[in-house]
Formats: sequence, structure tokens, C-alpha cells
Amino acid sequence: MATVVIGVAAFRDRLAAMSLPRLVVTPQLMGRPVGAPNDKTRQREILLAALDLLENAQAGKAIVDLT
Amino acid sequence: MQTKKLNKEDRTQMTTSPESPVSESLAEFKNSFAYGTRTDLNFKFLKNLPDADAAQFFQDLLHKLGDTLDDGDLTRVADHVFAWQAKAYAGAGNWRYPDGPFTPLHKPLAAAKVALLTSSGHFVAGDDPEPFGIKGMTQTEAMARIDDFLKEEPVLSVIPRDTPAAQLRVRHGGYDIRSAQADPNVAFPLAHLRDFAQEGRLGELAANAYSFVGACAQTPLLKRTGPQWVKRLQAEAIDAVVLVPV
Repeated sequence: MATVVIGVAAFRDRLAAMSLPRLVVTPQLMGRPVGAPNDKTRQREILLAALDLLENAQAGKAIVDLT
Repeated sequence: MQTKKLNKEDRTQMTTSPESPVSESLAEFKNSFAYGTRTDLNFKFLKNLPDADAAQFFQDLLHKLGDTLDDGDLTRVADHVFAWQAKAYAGAGNWRYPDGPFTPLHKPLAAAKVALLTSSGHFVAGDDPEPFGIKGMTQTEAMARIDDFLKEEPVLSVIPRDTPAAQLRVRHGGYDIRSAQADPNVAFPLAHLRDFAQEGRLGELAANAYSFVGACAQTPLLKRTGPQWVKRLQAEAIDAVVLVPV
């Protein structure tokens, strides 16, 4: 199975150290990695970045940093 | 005027009066936000900071609040908290792997079956995982029992893909769940994935989404529980998983 992780910027170093297949780092406060409450536009953008990485990453440790 | 230093009993029943004011060190103060007398999980990161840094955090916060009182712009306050959360958790942590697996998605996303798995502690109303056999555990109780949670293997909550937001519940002693209560999509974006499936961006959204309380025993999760979950997803012929740690 292909996987993608969406995580907040505060955990960027820790997530990067795990050598994950795909990682989207978001400019969000802890507890809300996909976006602020009811900010549907931003939430969709973050998820679409994750889905794009799922489909198009060519190798592991692929990181998209949205910060 | 005499002051007395805080002892353990004082910490649990803090009272102050002109007759017996208590003293508290900066370390005790900043640590009190992390499962202490002033628990506020948005600011539990203060415990990770050296005292001098914690002092700088508060000094700069108050200065920025001064500006915000004039112009009402809370962005600088949010940016300040964001920057200091990052500072507090900087560094590689304990789980380091020089390399990791990579499975390509062997088909277009528009033909793929996609699942969601989060560590946000969401579950369906009426299907409470009842940790430790406790019915209706509150968030406050979960926070008070965080040490117990960290010793336990996690329980996976199964959330049917059509579950509306109003039927979702969340409880997790490791983070401030107010955002997740107000809008599950901040950490459990099932509704958006439903939309994406309807829009044709995904071939299919898996019949179930999954969530667990990430504040759990990590080694059993890594060696036993996690692999069991992987087998479950494989049995469902899932092509891809969106993982959201909190």
C-alpha cells in the first residue's frame, strides 16, 4: 500500500527522521494538521497536496513542505 | 511576610491568601501546563523548553498581545505560538530510520481505493472504545489518565465512510481536542475524502476509516498492533492510505 503522512511543522524534524515514504508538512498549530477549523479551502489544499504526492512521488522520503 | 514553597499537596490544592502566599519557580510554572495544575495541552510544549526560553516565550507573547490590543490582528499571536511549538519539538526525536520502504501507487489515483487512518482519537457516537472499561470517559478524565494510556495498546475505532460529522466524537488525552471537536476535518478529514471520491479524484473511498488514540504504548503499536492493522487494510484491497498523526 502506498502511504502519505500529513503532519504539522512542529514535528517536521521528527517525521523526516523516520524516512517516511511521503510526507506533507503543514503550517498548522499542533492538533490541527489538516488545517484550521472550518477553513475548507485550506484543508482541501493540504489534502490535495497529499494525494498528489501519493500519485506522483517517485521515491521514498518525499517531502512537500507547505510552510 | 512569610512565603512557603510549593509542595506536592499544594500543587493539587493551590490556594493563595494574603496570609500564606505561595512561591513557584519559573520551571514549576512552565511545567504546570503539561499535565499539572494549569494543564493546557496547546501549551504543554513549554515543558520542553529551557527556563530562559520559556521566559522569552511569555515576554514576546505579552509584547505581541500589546500590539494586538491596538490593531486586533491575532495573526502575530498565532505565528508566535506556531514558532515556539516548532522550537520546542525541534530535533529528530527517538524514532530514527536512515531508510524506509516505498511502495509506488501502481494505478492512477482516480482508480485507487483510498483509506484514512488517524491518531486523533475519533470514534462514532455509540461506539466508544471505552478505555479501561470506562463508559463515557471525558476528555478531562483522559488527560488525567495519560500515563495509563501510554502503557496500553491502542484500540482501533472503525468509522464507516458515510459517517456525518455530527456522529463523530473525539477524545485524546495528548492534545487539545477543541479544534477537532469543532471540525473533525482538522485531523480526521473523512468528509473531504468523501467529496474527492464524488468528484472522481479517487477511485473509491474505503468502506471504513480508522482512528485511534496515538497516546499509547509505542513499542506494541510498532511491533504488534500496527502490523495487524496493516493486514486488515490489505484484506480490504486498499491501494493507498492517508495517515494523519496528531
